[in-house]
Amino acid sequence: MGIIRKGLPGGSFKPLSEQDIEKIHNTVLQVIEEIGFQVNSEDARQYFKQTGASIDEANRIVRLPRKTVMDLISKAPSEFTLYGRDEKNDIHLGGSRVYTGTGGTALYIYNPGSKEKRLASLDDLKKIAKLVGGLDNIHLLLLPTYPSELPVNQIDVNRFYAGLNNTSKHIMGGVYTLEGIENVIKMAEMVAGGKEQLRKRPIISMIACCMSPLKLDEHYADMMIAIAKAGIPLVCPAEPLCGATSPITVAGNVLMQTVDSLMGVLLTQIVNPGTPVIFGSVATSTDLRDLKYLAGSVEMGLTNAGSAQMAQFYKLPFYATGGMTDSKALDSQSGYESAITNMLCALAGSNFIHDSAGLMEFAMTVCLEKYVIDNDILGMVMRAVEGIKVTDETLAFDLIKKVGPAGNFVTSKHTRRHMRSEHYEPTVSDRNLREDWDAEGGQVAWERATILVNQIIESSDYSLPEDTKKTILSQIPGIVV
Amino acid sequence: MSQDILALIKENVVQGRINKEDEGMDEGMEGTPAVMELVQQALTDGIDVQKIINEGLTSGMDIVGQKFEEKEYYIPDMLASAEAVGAAMEMLEPHLASSGVEPKGKILIATVKGDLHDIGKNIVSILLRGAGYLVKDLGNDIDDQTIVDAVKEEQPQFLGLSALLTSTMMHMKDIIKSLNDAGIRDNVKVIVGGAPVSEQFANDIGADGFGADGFQAVSIVQSLGS
Repeated sequence: MGIIRKGLPGGSFKPLSEQDIEKIHNTVLQVIEEIGFQVNSEDARQYFKQTGASIDEANRIVRLPRKTVMDLISKAPSEFTLYGRDEKNDIHLGGSRVYTGTGGTALYIYNPGSKEKRLASLDDLKKIAKLVGGLDNIHLLLLPTYPSELPVNQIDVNRFYAGLNNTSKHIMGGVYTLEGIENVIKMAEMVAGGKEQLRKRPIISMIACCMSPLKLDEHYADMMIAIAKAGIPLVCPAEPLCGATSPITVAGNVLMQTVDSLMGVLLTQIVNPGTPVIFGSVATSTDLRDLKYLAGSVEMGLTNAGSAQMAQFYKLPFYATGGMTDSKALDSQSGYESAITNMLCALAGSNFIHDSAGLMEFAMTVCLEKYVIDNDILGMVMRAVEGIKVTDETLAFDLIKKVGPAGNFVTSKHTRRHMRSEHYEPTVSDRNLREDWDAEGGQVAWERATILVNQIIESSDYSLPEDTKKTILSQIPGIVV
Repeated sequence: MSQDILALIKENVVQGRINKEDEGMDEGMEGTPAVMELVQQALTDGIDVQKIINEGLTSGMDIVGQKFEEKEYYIPDMLASAEAVGAAMEMLEPHLASSGVEPKGKILIATVKGDLHDIGKNIVSILLRGAGYLVKDLGNDIDDQTIVDAVKEEQPQFLGLSALLTSTMMHMKDIIKSLNDAGIRDNVKVIVGGAPVSEQFANDIGADGFGADGFQAVSIVQSLGS
């Protein structure tokens, strides 16, 4: 009965001042102009050459003048839509509008109701797609797991098919082979109703990563080129880690993230100007005791909030990272780490918070129950983004006058009118009296979530029309049914 | 025709709409006839009063109760529906005797002396009216003698006593004693409620029933009345 909050404007949290943004921006340009970045794809270097960039072929270093950088950024659309198979799931990226989605790509999954993990299979991915299909506060499905039983040449088509056939939300995913990209796009065209229709309403988008610091990997750069040529929306996220692949400072990390993701943005705009590209951050901190990647640090939230401001400055849609935990169990650590990082990203106006649900232990493992719990966290986060609406109606002077001293507001129409929209109603949180909680078995959030997981998966059915499935299965090789 | 209007009454009870200005639950209901207008129409059309109560009001409240149990409805929804039924019952009251409808029962209700808390008592009143009882609310901070006198005069089947303070709840015991002394204790079932009141306390002071919340208050009245 509650309302679904998505696409509401964030931006009330601004860790960077205007002067800070200006200073970071100038340093970004200085890095690209003076230091440059390594481009390991021959094709990509050729594209950069077309802009008149100075290329150091011996070291594969590309340096771009400030003006070129700004010209290319301005070619990228500042707003675009990631379409759902069902249009009610469309996501209008841009400005400071906030949406959420899953993330990956994890290798492991928890056995439901336990702390034991195992390699994730294709079947698990289908289940997650169904589950996300039924969770209102997760707005997009980013394919979160890698089906370990499949050979790499079957990964892309099977992952996207599992997504498209089990939820009507937009499907975003990392890709692994050039052939896979081609077949996934063909498949999506079949679902969308044709080549043109897919370009008009892209129901899929892809991820091709930039490497921190200052490096475009050969394989990923070639994939970026292929995706941009195909006119499919893509994200070029970078993952600088404080003290490991970026300076230790949060500011240095924001800087590194900005430069590194911009490398991808720039390439796509040379390949196909106007390509819908998302500036992406997976920036976080490092455990300097053993150089582990950390998924739940408050600095991750801060960096991503700062990067959201940089994205808004460049007028590029932004893909943030938040909502994960390093914990191995669904305990208070998993709750507070997920909540704090999601909240910081959302309040800063991140357009799409990726990884916002389901991921645990350094993003290595997904947990079905955590999707359900995070759905509640995200519901609360989105309510915070909505903020406080102050009008005569919400202040209710006339009502207060009518109720008067020592009266009550339980029976007023005003209460009924606003109670569902003004207050988020959690699905997992326990708000029972002790005796009712006892009577229901004294369950903790994890146990309550297990029950919900099963209910949601059972009632979730967003499968593709039979004839579409038939066409796909007969024309796209390698799909496992 | 009579089926249509009864179905509309039922629907508007579920929506919690007393009269046509009410918004109710779903969009677009504002301005359409609600429970009061529809019951008036049903009376004008000569529809049997018992039918209006059973097929319109009570069956509507049954759905509301179900929605509340299923956590779809909140207390303010339940109260809005109960208020609509209460208002309709008031309108139907003059027609009950001539239609041969047996009234469900009369309930006298009060918050005891020294206690100014009446939110809970008011909610219980609304819910009891919504369940079809005639409720006479004496108010709050009512001294023992006034309550005993009112029982003599009104001759209700039930007396509901409310207290929020541990310091005032002992008045409930005194009131029961006064009813005994006046020789009218057996004429009325005494139901007690309020945050500090418990089943144990109700037993100790010789009350007939205890309601932990408004809904229990209604069900205890229903079970004691049958």
